[in-house]
Parts: sequence; C-alpha cells; structure tokens
Amino acid sequence: MFGQANVLAQGQAEFPPSVSDFYLPSILPWGAENSFWFTKITAMVWIAVGILIIFFLASYRNPQLVPTKKQWFAESIYGFVRNNIAVDMIGHAGVRFAPYFTTLFCFILLTNFFAIVPFFQISPNSHIAFPALLAAITYVMFNYVGIRHHGFVKYFKNSLVPPAPWYILPLLIPIEFFSTFLVRPFSLAVRLFANMFAGHMLLLVFTLGGFAMISANAWLAPVSVLSWVMTIALTFLEFLVIVLQAYVFTVLTASYVQGALAEEH
Amino acid sequence: MAGDQKPPSAGGPGDYPSGAGQGWTALSYLIGGMLVWGFIGWLVDHWLDTGGIATGIGVVLGMAGGIILVVRRLGTPT
Repeated sequence: MFGQANVLAQGQAEFPPSVSDFYLPSILPWGAENSFWFTKITAMVWIAVGILIIFFLASYRNPQLVPTKKQWFAESIYGFVRNNIAVDMIGHAGVRFAPYFTTLFCFILLTNFFAIVPFFQISPNSHIAFPALLAAITYVMFNYVGIRHHGFVKYFKNSLVPPAPWYILPLLIPIEFFSTFLVRPFSLAVRLFANMFAGHMLLLVFTLGGFAMISANAWLAPVSVLSWVMTIALTFLEFLVIVLQAYVFTVLTASYVQGALAEEH
Repeated sequence: MAGDQKPPSAGGPGDYPSGAGQGWTALSYLIGGMLVWGFIGWLVDHWLDTGGIATGIGVVLGMAGGIILVVRRLGTPT
C-alpha cells in the first residue's frame, strides 16, 4: 500500500493500468513473486468474514426488548433482507432462507465496499473466483431445494417443459435448459465480477491518468486535477454500484429459489 | 422488529422493482433463444455446408421461441 503511494509520488506508475494491477503482491511469504496463496485479497475476505461474525454475535449477545443502536442496525439489515427480499420474492416459505440471504447480502456488500475504503481500495469480488463460488452455491441451492420440494422428475419437468402446445416444445426446451441451467450461474457470477472489475479499473484509470499527465507535462496539471475530481465523483458512483450489485445478487438468488419452489405454471 | 417500522419506500436500494428477477428471466430467454438455436443452426451449417443460411434460420427460430417463452412463462398474471 505504502509502496504504491511512493510509486505514485515518483510518477512511475504504469499507465494505462492492466489486469496485472489486480494481482497484488504476496503477504505470506512477504513479497514473494507469483505466490497467490495469501495476498491482500485473501486477507480482505477473512477480514470481511471476521467483521460479520463478530458484528452479528456482538449485536445479539445481549438482546434487549428496546434495541440498542447496534442491535437495531443488525435487526434492520436482517429485517430488510427477510421482508423486502425473502418474503417479497418467495412468500412465507421464504423466511427459512432469510438467514442465508442475509449472510450472502452482508458478505457481498462488505467485500464490495472494500473497493472504496481507503487502504483496502480493491474488492475481492473483482476476482471472478469469489463471485463464481457464490454463484455456484446459489446454483446448487436452488436445484437442491427444487429437487427436494418436487422430486427429481417433477422438478425437471416443471423447469424444462413450459406450458405450450406439444409441437413447439422441441423449440422451447433447449432454450429453457440453456437459460435455466447454463446461463444462470454464469450471468450471476459475471455480473458481480464485471461490475467490481470495471469499477476498480475506472478508478485506476482516472487516478493514474492524473499522475501520468502531470508528470508528462506540467501544463497538463489542470487536467490532472479534473481527472482526480472525476475519481471522487466515480467513487460515489461506485458506492451506488456496490449496494446495487449486492442487492441484485441476493434478489436473483431469491428469485431462482422461488422459481424452483413454484408449483406448475 | 425494529426494521418493520420503516415505511416501505424509505429510499435506497429497496426501491428497486421487485420484478427484477422476472426482468432478468425475460432477458435470458430472449438472448438464450437466439444463442441456442443460432448455435444449432451453425452446427447444421458446418455439417451441410449451407453457408450461413441455417444459422440465420436458427437465430430467427430462437427469437420466436424466446418470445413464446416470455409470453407463456411470464405473461399470465399469477
């Protein structure tokens, strides 16, 4: 981090930024080349997990009838996910999924939020591995829930055979299969990943671009300042994207579970 | 619960329409239709050497299929 700041001050930062900027140096062993077992990204994921566990344990350790501020905050998050996502999308059966959805929402929100926290400044979700794993959990979950609710044959019949005359079914079933079982996990993962990746890239371009211009020609200093002002504006845009993507991921998971549980159409 | 006392539209991400899931489903049907049948058409193209005609037919069929699916799956009020 501080090395980064030094590089910026000396005007040595590479411009334009590239994908390699997402691969941060190894922490353990310190500074090792091409070792990605424990990097800043790994550390951030564990910090996020730790913060969430400690926060929810601490805010519910001594619950009050009139909630304390911390308890109110935790209950608001849970209440929001339970009422506005789980129950809204799935109905009463959705309450039993609310704990997982809350965990998912908080984890994505917090790891996304690292993208604009000073000194963290990159989201683990800008590496596709993390969104991909979350999408895989969603995929396994909605299929498992559907199979357990309907039975194997009925579940696949429900989700693959749309209500349509038999002679267009051959046209429709491949599309159903494609969009339900192939595209869903992929689009879920890519949507989150691409948003966080692009957000980080944009901030890099405008920050490093400012340095690149000011060190290329002192007359470009006003444009550099403009570029940094844009960085600040884009940080606010990032915040919007962060919250929205956490929400969208959770809502889509809920909607897939709802689709798996739905009775015949 | 404390969160229940908030008015339903307190601003923020909660105002995102709850039909978001349906929106994505519709989009994935429309695009998926074109891709699946376009790909099948492309395979037929390579098999029979029809120079792109089968791909075109496949894409159009897939679009039609996607639209039928959107109407059938999402069109009827629940």
